[in-house]
Amino acid sequence: MDWDQLELNPKVIAAIKKAKLKSIKEVLHFSGPDLQRLTKLSSIDVQHLLKTVSLALRNNCVLTGAIYICTEDVFPDKRLQQLIALQHQLRTDVPQDVIKKIKFGNSIFIEHAADIDALFECVTKRAPILLSRGMVRLIIIDSIAALFRCEFGIQHSITKAKYLQTLGAKLHQLSSGFQSPVLCINQVTDTVDERGLAGTNLDVLARVSPALGITWSNQLLMRLMVSRLARELSRDTHAAATGTVVRTLSVIFAPHLPQSCCHYTVSAEGVKGAE
Amino acid sequence: MGTSRFPPSIWGGDRKRSAEPLSQLLLRLMSLRGRGLWFRRPERIPDAWAGSGSPTSPSPRAVELLFAAMQRHLGSYPLSPGVRVKLVSAGFQTAEELLELKPSELSREVGISKEEALETLQIIKRECPVDLSRFASVSISGKKYTALELLEQEHTQGFIITFCSALDNIMGGGIPLTKTTEICGAPGVGKTQLCMQLAVDVQIPECFGGVAGEAIFLDTEGSFMVDRVADLATACVQHLHLIAGSHLEEEHQKALENFSLESILSHIYYFRCHNYTELLAQVHLLPDFLLEHSKVQLIIVDGIAFPFRHDFDDLSLRTRLLNGLAQQLISMANNHKLAVIWTNQMTTKIDKNQSMLVPALGPGFSGCSCSLSIITPGRTFREPPKTITRWKRRRIIFKDFAFVYMCWVRFTLEIFSSVIKGNHQVIINHLLKHLYRIYLSKNMVVNIKIHKYIYIIH
Repeated sequence: MDWDQLELNPKVIAAIKKAKLKSIKEVLHFSGPDLQRLTKLSSIDVQHLLKTVSLALRNNCVLTGAIYICTEDVFPDKRLQQLIALQHQLRTDVPQDVIKKIKFGNSIFIEHAADIDALFECVTKRAPILLSRGMVRLIIIDSIAALFRCEFGIQHSITKAKYLQTLGAKLHQLSSGFQSPVLCINQVTDTVDERGLAGTNLDVLARVSPALGITWSNQLLMRLMVSRLARELSRDTHAAATGTVVRTLSVIFAPHLPQSCCHYTVSAEGVKGAE
Repeated sequence: MGTSRFPPSIWGGDRKRSAEPLSQLLLRLMSLRGRGLWFRRPERIPDAWAGSGSPTSPSPRAVELLFAAMQRHLGSYPLSPGVRVKLVSAGFQTAEELLELKPSELSREVGISKEEALETLQIIKRECPVDLSRFASVSISGKKYTALELLEQEHTQGFIITFCSALDNIMGGGIPLTKTTEICGAPGVGKTQLCMQLAVDVQIPECFGGVAGEAIFLDTEGSFMVDRVADLATACVQHLHLIAGSHLEEEHQKALENFSLESILSHIYYFRCHNYTELLAQVHLLPDFLLEHSKVQLIIVDGIAFPFRHDFDDLSLRTRLLNGLAQQLISMANNHKLAVIWTNQMTTKIDKNQSMLVPALGPGFSGCSCSLSIITPGRTFREPPKTITRWKRRRIIFKDFAFVYMCWVRFTLEIFSSVIKGNHQVIINHLLKHLYRIYLSKNMVVNIKIHKYIYIIH
């Protein structure tokens, strides 16, 4: 890593070279006080270093990662390893050696949040640190509904609404402040009333509606719904023949998209579009 | 009203403390203003608070404040009880009556000593924002209008057309200028789409029936997508070219020369507000912006509810801030003759074991606009909207001078006023027709209270 490319003070560059830090990623993996100890620079210099390095990372579009916050279950690590191993089969448009060189596992930061306080702490304190350094550009929360549906009863609906609104506002702040998308996974509930859903065409969607009600819907910019199709309805004969389930991803509402849907399958190497 | 003898200082304590962050200061100033407490040094009020105006021709807001000060009852001033009793028994009710007298005259009339009279007058003068003599040339009650003049003004004012005949018909011509309109509905129903469409439609040239103005878009949720606006603008340009093709006059073709995608996009002024302080500050600064850009005819606030619904423990403060915000928007609509539109969220209200969807932020906020509610789910329109063809059609219910609650369980229709004439009769007819249709289809509940009427039968 050619440190002279970055706009740093020469004494900072000398200190980095003396501490034998070879790449931007190595620098970003250390915390502020650790860097101070390693390079023997003042805290202001270290902050300036971190800021410059993050900016370089974002501008050069060097690979960046994602935060995955699990609330429901243990993170399925085996499946992740399987996906990483088979990634070259999924992405046939990219040369194999390029994919083999990327260390996917290093860029995924997994957090388990068992209750609402842990979730809030992660979103308000830990996520901004990673986002500000440019190490992650995507936040995934799997799932929002789990915590809110089990911790709040009917009589606490006002508190639940307040927490949901605060969480929504905080995610908005992170998203617009760091130009990073936030993906939240929600559950569905059955609706008895046919008129319960905001106007969609598919029969299967008329029977379920997203959980967490209108409070959470007000926080969202875009909503997508995924569902399974019965095998007979799918037009992909290959999928029907081999018995893979064809799933549908449809846009419920988005400010820039019409209501449309697409089909996909999930196989060993990952998610693939189907016709 | 202040219970302490002296009005609180703006800076909140001794000056030795370092300046507080700007957002805190703004919040404190705005909450003080809403409560009607007077500033200690009135001549330092920045113009942004008192509205645009100079000492010789005061702004309407300053005149309002002064008028309110003059009408303040004597009992609210920190006078000693003996003096107060004597003043009341002598027949003095309001501050205005006292200020006309000199101290010697006052002591003779009321029967108090000269020192007491002097002290009383000093207390009252101190609590007034500005000196009465500065406005001697202006009548305190402000400019007078008769209802007939107002009616004529209403007839001649423009509308922002949308090229969707159903929408234009139901609104009596389009989105009205000099009025505020609220659009509320469930998430995903099309409020932002409508706002983006109107930001394009306000720029339609006059020979096609538009107002040829510019638009300001205040976005709090980040839902403004430029690609989508570009689609809408392109469709609008094509539509106008079609219309111009069927007309043989020169002026249509000439007007279209300047009407292109680039010009449409460059006349939408976009502001992104991340929290309520930014929104309030931006709205405060809009009058200055409007002085520089006098062609603006539309202000859109997309998502006015979103920044106010989290982060507020003190609901009375929120109400004060919202009322102040609404007042500012209304005064801008009136003074600069433009239309103001804001979008509101829906919230669930639980009332006697039933739940219904009502607009968020409370009834007081919605009641100060003439509103458009969009509700779900959508049965199809009889005539599809022309510019929004790819999108799901929605049912639109209009309320003007009315507050419509959409409820799924019970049906009640109460109309409290019948003294409405003029072009609004058309709107009321449409509204009634639509409501009867809903009633007969037996799946909606409507509760209407018409609570404002200003026209006299002519």
